[in-house]
Amino acid sequence: MTPLMHGFVWGLVIATVLVTIAVLSIWFERKFSARMQSRLGPTLVGPAGILQLVADALKMMQKEDLIPEKADSILFRLAPPFTVLFTLSVAAVIPFSENVLAADLDIGVLFMLAVGGLVVFPVWIAGWSSNNKYALLGAMRAVAQGIAYEIPLVLSAMVPVVLAQSMRFSDIISVQAETHWFVIWPLGPGLIAFVIFFICSLAEANRIPFDIPEAESELVAGVTTEYAGMRFGLLQMAEYLHTLIASAVAAAIFFGGWDGPFAPGLHWMVLKTLALFFTIFWIRWSLVRFRSDQLMALCWKYLLPLSLLLVMVAALFVHYCGVGA
Amino acid sequence: MTESLIFFALAAFILLGAVRVVASRDLVHAVLWLAVVLVLTAVMFLMLGAPFLAGVQLLLYTGGVITLMLFGVMLTRRHHEIGVEVDSSRRLPGALGALALFGAMACAIFRTDLPAWPSSAPVSALEIGRAFLTDHLIAFEVLSILLLAAMIGAIVLGRQSDFGDEPETVYRKGGRP
Repeated sequence: MTPLMHGFVWGLVIATVLVTIAVLSIWFERKFSARMQSRLGPTLVGPAGILQLVADALKMMQKEDLIPEKADSILFRLAPPFTVLFTLSVAAVIPFSENVLAADLDIGVLFMLAVGGLVVFPVWIAGWSSNNKYALLGAMRAVAQGIAYEIPLVLSAMVPVVLAQSMRFSDIISVQAETHWFVIWPLGPGLIAFVIFFICSLAEANRIPFDIPEAESELVAGVTTEYAGMRFGLLQMAEYLHTLIASAVAAAIFFGGWDGPFAPGLHWMVLKTLALFFTIFWIRWSLVRFRSDQLMALCWKYLLPLSLLLVMVAALFVHYCGVGA
Repeated sequence: MTESLIFFALAAFILLGAVRVVASRDLVHAVLWLAVVLVLTAVMFLMLGAPFLAGVQLLLYTGGVITLMLFGVMLTRRHHEIGVEVDSSRRLPGALGALALFGAMACAIFRTDLPAWPSSAPVSALEIGRAFLTDHLIAFEVLSILLLAAMIGAIVLGRQSDFGDEPETVYRKGGRP
């Protein structure tokens, strides 16, 4: 099989599985949040309400395809599919096991950061093209947040790169398999970098406690205000996909990816990814939303200097103790 | 054959996008076309065997574009109900300037002895990093200082009112200093 064919086939398989998990997670989140708040969640449609998703999808597809009269209709239509496209593209470089990966690029981590950074474009376009003040405010907030948190995200992702001395995902994972997972060793930089990476991923995906771009108590529904039906569904889906893929990336570069005893690599990678994904839901239903200025202060005053320091500490560690290939 | 076909298609799209950048009357559309041009240029780098450069192009330049767009929308006046329009009456000087730049660059490119087509394998990120920190260390550091100076200059220009006689800052009226 040529590399192109290989990438195409595995890319399709991985994308399908990820989208399925993201959709199922919406049901899971409802049940889970209901448990946390002593409610029941969906119960009526199918066993334990699992068919609620199908009902929701059918409802969304039946809705009228609304486009505001004064919206920029071309951009308005383009934004939701591109949000999903850019988000899913990141999955191309994530290895789920030694064999289950679409493209093992030499610049894997850089690709992940670069394409992941593009997601802010369609989100902004969605808000701007709606020609609605709440949507525009939401888009402004999304971009401000996206640009700000991009920097500590890149720097904290550099820590495993420095430790493994490679940007290739499979190299980073094999170094961790040979030594230890970067989250526990070297103690300190790896763990803190993971925490920063995780916080920034939450902020990039606009998840609570960083969901000020769609703060429903202030901005109606932020960027998605004017969207209805399946277009809204796509924007929503992109958010879940974003957190799922961020969990997979964190599992790969900080938690040793497919490395683990007793079971095949794929099982471990999926287990780690889902554990991190679950943590995101847990955080979401435990915390409240940050204020805009608190959000910016957290990023510029704490995360940014800390992540810069971590990269230096990691470099010193490699220089004096020597790890990696 | 296929490669040159893809190249010409790509080049055509880049040129089309570039024309749209200057021809679009709506500022946001113009900036979006700029983003398209920059992304396609990254694809071009990828084709020429420079994946690292392509990644950096996406990360830095397209990232810069979104900032540009924000400032464009925030700082310019709204002429119409929707969007911000841009247009210039001085088209002839603009065209002359563009032609002069094109001439100078074409001249420089044709006079330089360039390798025909990259035949070697893609340059790995490791090699680029090594080259930056060994052979080209001084150029690399000088560039960093230049960027830093530009950044500080921008801050000074932006906060000029703090150094002048009239402290008419916008956000000092509102709340905390």
